[in-house]
Amino acid sequence: MLQYIIKRLLLLPLLLFIFSVFSFVIIQAPPGDFVTAYIAELATSGSSMDQAQIDALRQLYGLDQPMHIQYLKWIGRILRGDMGVSLDWQRPITQLIGERLLLTVALGAFTFGFTWVVAIPIGILSATRQYSFLDYFFTVFNYFGVATPTFMTALVLMWLAFSYFGISVTGLFSPEYVDAPWTWGRVLDLLKHLWLPAVILGLDGTARLARVMRANLLDELKKPYMEMARAKGLSEFRLVLKYPVRLALNPLVSTIGWYLPLLFSGSVIVATVMNLPTIGPMLLRALTSQDMFLAGSIILVYCCLAIIGTLLSDILLVWLDPRIRMEAS
Amino acid sequence: MSKKFFSLLILMTLVVSLLPATAGAAPPAQAGGTTYTIQKDDWLSKLADKEYGDPLAFPAIVYYNNKKATEDPAFTLIEDPNLIEVGWTVYLPSPEEANAYLLGSIPAGAYNEAPMLAEMVAAGTLPPVDERLPDDPLIEPVDAEIGQYGGTIRRGFLGPSDHNNYTRVVYDALVRFSPTGGEVVPHIAAGWSSNEDFTEWTVRLRPGAKWSDGAPFTADDIMFWYNDILLNEELIASIPVWMQNADGSTVKVEKLGDYAVKWTYAEPNTAFLLELANKDGADRSILNLAFVPAHYVKQFHPSYVDAAELDAKVAAAGFDTWAELFAVEAMPHLSGKRPSMAAWAPDGTSVSDPVFTIKRNPYYIGVDPAGNQLPYVDEVRFTFFADSEALNLAAVAGEIDMQGRHIKMSNYPVFIENAEQGGYRVVLWPTFGGSDAVVMFNQTWTGPEVEMFQNKDFRIAMSYAIDRNAIRELVFLGLGELRQGVPAPFSPYYPGDEWAFKYTQHDPDLANQILDGVIPNKGADGFRTLPDGSPLDIEIGVVPEQFVAWDDVGQLIVEDWAKVGVKAHVELRERTLHFAMRPANELQVEIWNEDTTGFPFTGQPKFDPRSDPALCFAPLVRIWYQTNGAEGVEPTPVIKQIVDIIDEAKVSARGRQIELAQELFRIWADNVFEIGTVGLTPSVQGVVVVNANLRNVPAVAGNDWPLRTPGDTRPEQFFYAQ
Repeated sequence: MLQYIIKRLLLLPLLLFIFSVFSFVIIQAPPGDFVTAYIAELATSGSSMDQAQIDALRQLYGLDQPMHIQYLKWIGRILRGDMGVSLDWQRPITQLIGERLLLTVALGAFTFGFTWVVAIPIGILSATRQYSFLDYFFTVFNYFGVATPTFMTALVLMWLAFSYFGISVTGLFSPEYVDAPWTWGRVLDLLKHLWLPAVILGLDGTARLARVMRANLLDELKKPYMEMARAKGLSEFRLVLKYPVRLALNPLVSTIGWYLPLLFSGSVIVATVMNLPTIGPMLLRALTSQDMFLAGSIILVYCCLAIIGTLLSDILLVWLDPRIRMEAS
Repeated sequence: MSKKFFSLLILMTLVVSLLPATAGAAPPAQAGGTTYTIQKDDWLSKLADKEYGDPLAFPAIVYYNNKKATEDPAFTLIEDPNLIEVGWTVYLPSPEEANAYLLGSIPAGAYNEAPMLAEMVAAGTLPPVDERLPDDPLIEPVDAEIGQYGGTIRRGFLGPSDHNNYTRVVYDALVRFSPTGGEVVPHIAAGWSSNEDFTEWTVRLRPGAKWSDGAPFTADDIMFWYNDILLNEELIASIPVWMQNADGSTVKVEKLGDYAVKWTYAEPNTAFLLELANKDGADRSILNLAFVPAHYVKQFHPSYVDAAELDAKVAAAGFDTWAELFAVEAMPHLSGKRPSMAAWAPDGTSVSDPVFTIKRNPYYIGVDPAGNQLPYVDEVRFTFFADSEALNLAAVAGEIDMQGRHIKMSNYPVFIENAEQGGYRVVLWPTFGGSDAVVMFNQTWTGPEVEMFQNKDFRIAMSYAIDRNAIRELVFLGLGELRQGVPAPFSPYYPGDEWAFKYTQHDPDLANQILDGVIPNKGADGFRTLPDGSPLDIEIGVVPEQFVAWDDVGQLIVEDWAKVGVKAHVELRERTLHFAMRPANELQVEIWNEDTTGFPFTGQPKFDPRSDPALCFAPLVRIWYQTNGAEGVEPTPVIKQIVDIIDEAKVSARGRQIELAQELFRIWADNVFEIGTVGLTPSVQGVVVVNANLRNVPAVAGNDWPLRTPGDTRPEQFFYAQ
């Protein structure tokens, strides 16, 4: 097992190298570069640049150099442990990510917690009371959750909050706390704002998770060992929780590692619509403005977390289900 | 008893602290004024006429009376100059006082300052206001009334690339455009003069003017910009056009003394002041500077610091070259620490922060006509929004105090509906001329369609085919007028109604008639075909999600054109892609706005084929000019004429400039290279949400990027009524 983990970890640098080249090339693939995107953005506010300004910018940012030189410059800095400076923000990338990391992870963790805490009981309930009123109710509710894009839910809730309560529910802080230092007041204020996006983001995942849980559990409930256990007189509650639920969780646990990169990037569209100061909207901005250093760095971290997440999933699975074993070396 | 007493004391303290912090006390309270009781049939201008021989002198009465009324309850406060009542006791200032007020000549020692600064002066942490202001401060007119100090203006911005949000609010330039955009007025510079043939321009500075950190502002701050920024090849790859002579050499700038600087051009230059009015660090570009705090930026320049020391600074900031660091430190809103001459200076935050705050500059050079140092408002707070719709929602909820930028015209009805609940009003500032949706034909398109694009009759027919009223009703909410892309009627460059409305009537029959002469053949599908028999399907390139729904305009035009047998379709593209295709001559026709008619001879006018970015007017002609005729396409006589007019105007005196501009727009409208549809709408940052209590925001203002709106309306004289 340990050997397996080490092997997987040793592959990491190679994978990351491949990812870094790919992400850099793909981000550069659209026509134009950061300066073109920047000029286009300025033009929409009526301003324009002459050729001298454009040349100066390209020279300043090193965009006049060939792509492989730009890549080497970027990757060289990453190897030295800093990610360089964002063209758009004119600030070190590690600083930009660092500022948003805490809130992004907090939002991701809340969403994740909400999803699991709500979805698992619903899934169990739906499966054990199949075709009951509650099952139908949750089925409809779940399909609704899957079918409605989360940004739509966000927009509808934002409008309702505004039209009925006259408040705008955007952002993660009240105005007085936005740039305040961390205090209890600020934490409470954050919690007051955090639950809504967490619920909105969680709805979609909850629905999926509950459906998967229900299907998995239904398969297990029909197995002969259930009859056996019942015949032996095990109480239904203990029986369901102890055996089929544990088995039904396996497929879910195998995907749990995917949450790791999601924790890092968070949702892009909902966070943009709700104006959340997380990493997702920054990535979107970086991509549209072709700020390849920032976008590349975020994607690289994302890839790195995806790889680690998959590994974690595998390890968890082994821990949860002793039947799964690595092939003996 | 004692408890009650204390409650009373607290209450009184509260009341006192809530009393309006009046901004009075400017002109000396010379005795000599009289007490007067309002009689029947009195009104203020009548009193002013009687007392001072000038009915327009009534604001002096209001000012001195209100000042007196806050000291002495025997006098009645005049809240509205139009409303006085019989029996009121008012104070009529002496003719000397009134005169001083009206002339704005404020005797030294009579300046007033914000309470927060007065406290600092009292505490000894700040020099007194007389020492902070220059010897001859800039006296800024107020829009409606003398204001009161205090408050915060809350705005929203979309992140670091929205830096011009700051630039527009502070409008930090040596000279500025006036609120209506009609003229250039002094600002940081006290004045200017030129020689007979406009080759030499001398800019006079204000002795005693200071940067926001208290360091003096002198000619050296301009000379540093010239010698160490403009002429430094590591910072500036090629000299910007306004600092180039015709032969490509750099314009000479020299110091005439501590407070005067002379620019010497090889040829006459009448656009000098217009250029200087836009050298405010716009677009966060060091090319758009004309002065910097030399004492501060020196520490980031290799000519003044030791190489190793500078390298350490560059590395600490995470940059690779000193030029990158310098480009940040030369701008107040990127640096956060760089001193400024603007009314508000950054408090250490920058446009890269979630909240960017600019605070009152205690050394700001401007005062109001009563001698109160500006700005009235303590600070401006820019809050980051990831998305402009979220910003609009915040504005609807009343969380924005003064903003037109990113406020969408399409949301105008929503703003009106929620104005009372949100505690704001909506002011409309229409565009400065031109047309807010134009269809531009590419004159150097390389496909077979170009034969039509180059045919004037075809273009005229396409103009007649458009139902502009439908566009106005459906896209512009019924606002604006149907017109070609020429200046506004209030502009001196206006070519006249005949040209503004030429070919704008909706006449499909006439269009058909003209088209039958130009492109008579039709294909099996009923659409007209090119003379060689190939089908014609015009591609209209549009970028969606801009300030106007140009995609909707495009769809309406496609339908209108189909009715006269011309097939066209709208091609939506991402903005960056569209902007990359344009100079590469890959756009046939595009829809954008014509917003450069107010300034035909500076910047990048869209009817000058050499401009970039402009529209797809004639991209290959641009290359022809760039390469001196070696590559690209030679301009047609009409295009050449346009270029010649622009070049002549750049070196002509004002009168001739106006003639030339009118001539230019007559040619432009007559040839319909671009078809104008609806103009003078508030589509471009013109729907302005203003806090209900914020005063002195003009109802009418020139609204354009070169004017730095709302900078031209002097945000430093906005104030909150308390």
